[in-house]
Amino acid sequence: MISTLAYGLTIGGILYIISIGLTLTFGTMRIVNFAHALVYTVGAYVVMTVTARIWDNFVFAGLVAVAVAVPLSYLIERFVIRRLYGQSIDYAIIATYAVLLVGVDVVKWLWGATPMPLSDPLNGAFVVLGGVELPLYRILVIAVALVVFAALEVFFRRTMVGKIVVAGLENKEAVRSLGINVDRFFTIVFLIGSALAALGGVLYAPITSIHPYMGFQVLLLCFAVVLVGGMGSIRGSFVAAFVLGLVIAVTGRFWGPAAETMVFVVMAAVLIFKPIEA
Amino acid sequence: MSDDAILRAVGVSKRFGAFSAVTDVDYVLREGEVAGIIGPNGAGKSTFFNLMTGLYAPTQGRIEFRGRDVTRLDAHQRVALGIVRTFQLVSVFGSLSVIENLILSVLRFREGAMKPWRFLFAKAHSVEVEDACLAALQRVGIAHLASAPTSTLSYGDKRRLEIAMSLSLNPRVLLLDEPLAGLGDGEITEVLELVREVCKSVTLVIIEHKISRIVDLVGRLSVMCEGRLLADGDPRRVLEDPEVRRVYWGDKAVAAAS
Ligand SMILES: Nc1ncnc2c1ncn2[C@@H]1O[C@H](COP(=O)(O)OP(=O)(O)OP(=O)(O)O)[C@@H](O)[C@H]1O
Ligand SMILES: [Mg+2]
Repeated sequence: MISTLAYGLTIGGILYIISIGLTLTFGTMRIVNFAHALVYTVGAYVVMTVTARIWDNFVFAGLVAVAVAVPLSYLIERFVIRRLYGQSIDYAIIATYAVLLVGVDVVKWLWGATPMPLSDPLNGAFVVLGGVELPLYRILVIAVALVVFAALEVFFRRTMVGKIVVAGLENKEAVRSLGINVDRFFTIVFLIGSALAALGGVLYAPITSIHPYMGFQVLLLCFAVVLVGGMGSIRGSFVAAFVLGLVIAVTGRFWGPAAETMVFVVMAAVLIFKPIEA
Repeated sequence: MSDDAILRAVGVSKRFGAFSAVTDVDYVLREGEVAGIIGPNGAGKSTFFNLMTGLYAPTQGRIEFRGRDVTRLDAHQRVALGIVRTFQLVSVFGSLSVIENLILSVLRFREGAMKPWRFLFAKAHSVEVEDACLAALQRVGIAHLASAPTSTLSYGDKRRLEIAMSLSLNPRVLLLDEPLAGLGDGEITEVLELVREVCKSVTLVIIEHKISRIVDLVGRLSVMCEGRLLADGDPRRVLEDPEVRRVYWGDKAVAAAS
């Protein structure tokens, strides 16, 4: 059971890291960004390629992956998402979904469609907890998620930019009326969210297999996190991600095929009891 | 018209789909003036404010600030010129503390048009900034609430905070959208007192539902109805206008107040 819980927390940590970008983009710009999944996928592919071809150092490769994701997502923001500000939400869904489809085809063209594994960067090192062997890597993923959470708390509570974004999440027009070009700050947040999506891809790569469609599956789970946590709520996503991670792990232990279905059962239940006020 | 116009709307219209919320409005605000705008619900008063402050782009017409065409400027750029507003529904940030709300406006004014990457590292709390914020809170009488979470404030105190924030932006012209709405009687007197004090130094436009509250305050009154400017001029004269009276006849809320 301990290993199940640890696995759940690992999945939760990764879901959290990926979901932040989605929830922030929705909260700030009212845009549902499917292209987020592309950035995640690219993160995983880049980390794999760099470790295989350039330098077999996971941390270095991870940094490269995040560094690649930022300009990529800037282009997506600049040429697609920025044109969708204030438009009806379905336009954003269609346009960013198109970006995802095109991007996935480019990934297939560059790397092929066969799933590829990435070996454990810690060579299977483990820690023993309560008499159970747990892969150290997975524990580290949980730690990274906690560090990201703490860093974001500091960012949103302590820095000026963070406060502007928090205010903008509440009332964009009011921030504008204080003479603040709020969209630029939203762009910063968008890039932070995208960098984290790539980080999510990096962290998940050694646990799962890397394939062009890996983004679709994760995207659905992340939407569930965003909906359960409350759209635009940073702390809500944190809690929701870990809860849903545990749901996946625990359900998976007793009845494998239902693991991810269960996430949507929970999501449906939450939506019934706490409908979204739009 | 006269050269001392600070804010001017020329043939301004705003349509939402087929519906025209503001229709061909010409409006001139002179430096130092205290102007009132009244009109029934849905007359287009708030929309007109949104056009002047840049939250909406007009479908037609243009907005000038001191003779300069500002129609294409964004809301935040107009604030930098000194066009500052408050909202009908008080718009302070509940997830920040009172003083953090003020920091957003004070820092902005002091730093001018700062690049985001510099702003990223700007210290949120410096002694200077904090002093400026406390002084601003003092002015509206809520300095004792500085560190309270804004969500815990009464509606009247939120309104005071919003006014303090708008004053910190160094306005040349201040547009107040129904600042008295939702306040208790005591609060109304206090906020009116504050507005009276503010308008000594700032050109002011105030939207209000109940004429009686502002008739002594304003030197000029405009009446909007169904998106149009119905009457404009000396308050007493405007109120005697037969067409204005006809509009009010049909509107219970305002009729009761006048
Ligand atoms: N963003 C919008 N989209 C569509 N219609 C709008 C929008 N904003 C305002 N309207 C419509 O324009 C009309 C004028 O609204 P506005 O808020 O300007 O009136 P108002 O004079 O301020 O009224 P009130 O006294 O109730 O505040 C209303 O019929 C309103 O429904
Ligand atoms: Mg209004």
